[in-house]
Amino acid sequence: MSIYQDIAENLMEGQTAQVRELTQKAVDEGKPAVEILNNALLAGMNEVGELFKEGEMFVPEVLIAAKAMNSGMEIIKPLLNDGDIKKAGTVIMATVKGDLHDIGLNLVSMMLEGAGFEVINLGIDTEPEKIIEAIKQYNPDIIGMSAMLTTTMKAMKEAVQAIKEAGLYDKVKVMVGGAPVNDEFAQQIGAHYSSDANEAVEVATRLVSA
Amino acid sequence: MTGKELIFKTLNHEDTPRVAWVPFAGVHAGKLTGVSAKEILTDGEKLFNALLEVNKLYRPDGQPVLFDLQIEAEILGCELQWAEDAPPAVKTHVLSETKDVPCTCMMPQKTDGRLPLVLDVMTKMKEAVGETTALYGLTCGPFTLASHLRGTNIFMDMFEDLEYTKKLINYTNEVNKKIAEYYIEAGMDVIAVVDPLVSQISPRHFKKFLLEPYTDLFNFIREKQTFSSFFVCGDATRSIDVMCQTGPDSISIDENIDMVAAKEITDKYNVAIGGNIPLTTVMLHGTQQDNMKYTVDLLDKLNHKNLIIAPGCDMPYDVPVENTIAVQQAIRETDKVREILENYEAVEEDIEVELPDYDNLERPLVEVFTLDSATCAACTYMLNAAMDAKEHFGEAIDVVEYKFTIKENIARVKKMGVQHLPSIYINGKLKYSSIIPSKEELEGAIKEAMN
Repeated sequence: MSIYQDIAENLMEGQTAQVRELTQKAVDEGKPAVEILNNALLAGMNEVGELFKEGEMFVPEVLIAAKAMNSGMEIIKPLLNDGDIKKAGTVIMATVKGDLHDIGLNLVSMMLEGAGFEVINLGIDTEPEKIIEAIKQYNPDIIGMSAMLTTTMKAMKEAVQAIKEAGLYDKVKVMVGGAPVNDEFAQQIGAHYSSDANEAVEVATRLVSA
Repeated sequence: MTGKELIFKTLNHEDTPRVAWVPFAGVHAGKLTGVSAKEILTDGEKLFNALLEVNKLYRPDGQPVLFDLQIEAEILGCELQWAEDAPPAVKTHVLSETKDVPCTCMMPQKTDGRLPLVLDVMTKMKEAVGETTALYGLTCGPFTLASHLRGTNIFMDMFEDLEYTKKLINYTNEVNKKIAEYYIEAGMDVIAVVDPLVSQISPRHFKKFLLEPYTDLFNFIREKQTFSSFFVCGDATRSIDVMCQTGPDSISIDENIDMVAAKEITDKYNVAIGGNIPLTTVMLHGTQQDNMKYTVDLLDKLNHKNLIIAPGCDMPYDVPVENTIAVQQAIRETDKVREILENYEAVEEDIEVELPDYDNLERPLVEVFTLDSATCAACTYMLNAAMDAKEHFGEAIDVVEYKFTIKENIARVKKMGVQHLPSIYINGKLKYSSIIPSKEELEGAIKEAMN
């Protein structure tokens, strides 16, 4: 097994210490940081996304794998050159106003990071004003919003409305997700829907390349 | 046979004359009496009145008293964020920064938090409808309660600190037993342990952390001669098997799980299963026909032993009352409703209906549109309200009922654009929909139409 595979498999098992050690070993052996990133860490996280989609992995497994990935990232980050990381895009993530649920939000954020996106996570219970402010500040490609309750779906619609009123709707793609949300609703409010964290990465990737 | 007997038979895994029906009207109960979610979750009298209305309009065989998974967390020190049209959410997690596990000697007392309110309403409900309706007491299951206390750290704990996680879940399980004990004393027939977060963990983690505590919990409930149910929300397809292994009398699932596949598993364990009318797409945003169709389809594709029809989870506050009425009608009068659905599809072309000349009526015309006043309780009340008015006004008004079971009436309903049944129209205008007007209200509206 190559050391890249070894790292990826330990990452999938959520073995933080091993991923750290093996990443260091790869660096010591003179492997280029960009190869470790793409062939080991991101490859492992990609596989995690697939397994999550297939129902083989659940939320805790994904979170622990993301933690393991970060332990490897810490080692190679100082060694990466600016041009090495091909940033897939910038995404602002938030749970809408009135909603305190952050499991889905954090999961999608981690998976997007795992796929090479820069993620700015605004957290839970986010007012539309704060979203607008963040769009102006970070100039993201995508704003991703999550709602867990049928009642806070309304806040999603209001946030999209606020983005339109601020004249920012043409500058940013809107993505939505969460238990009560579906494709039809997303289309109604002018957003793109994904049913889980893995699909969110697929949709985001498609949107930035469009 | 009473609804309660029907539930008992189902949970005893016996054959039943029809499938039982348990509407999970939590905060939604408030919609029936015009009070907010927060009000019914904090004001005993308002809750009690709303629950009686649920019992009257929806004719449940089984009925939950309070659907609020935050009661226990609130008692244990978590702050809540309240909403007008949804249950509260946990805002702060008392154990998020510490790995203390509260002593199992520190259990919620009957006087803590909102428990006095809950226990009082349970006692009153038992007196009011307990003879005929099976009452459900809902607890927040051990895993979700642990996450309320610890926040999402619980997911990492499962890998990084096995012993701590087990201790914490052991504690939250003891809390469940204590709350169940109080609810059983207050007369609850079924203890439903509601653990939505179970859908987010693998069967392997379930076995490691929850199989033992849950088995203990359901044994505890059984020893108290009370039925148990295990509610899960979300896609817990892969955990249904291991959930059955914990020995509940029933399981309740939502639309994320295929009911047919799930029932094959629950049947293997002789566990009853309830579900799974979609909350948002069908109950909240669908039409009455959508709700009838989903229910009839469910009844058609499942064998009826060990089966309960229920919404997927706690009904959204704003579910149209008519939609729930449509579901209960489809359960009680499945064949008639199937016929209605067929006629509804077919009726477009072939029937011409003449509507009255509403602008030139000789006297006020009260039209009552019903599913079938002989079998649908809400329809009976609606028709009775109109008949009372007829008795009061005599020849001065006309009252007519249009039952949806008759093809011509379906055509009329379509032509009139009637959206919800039962409804009362006065002089061709919609006046009341599903919520039955009081005698004074209806008489007032008719008088107004006379002028």
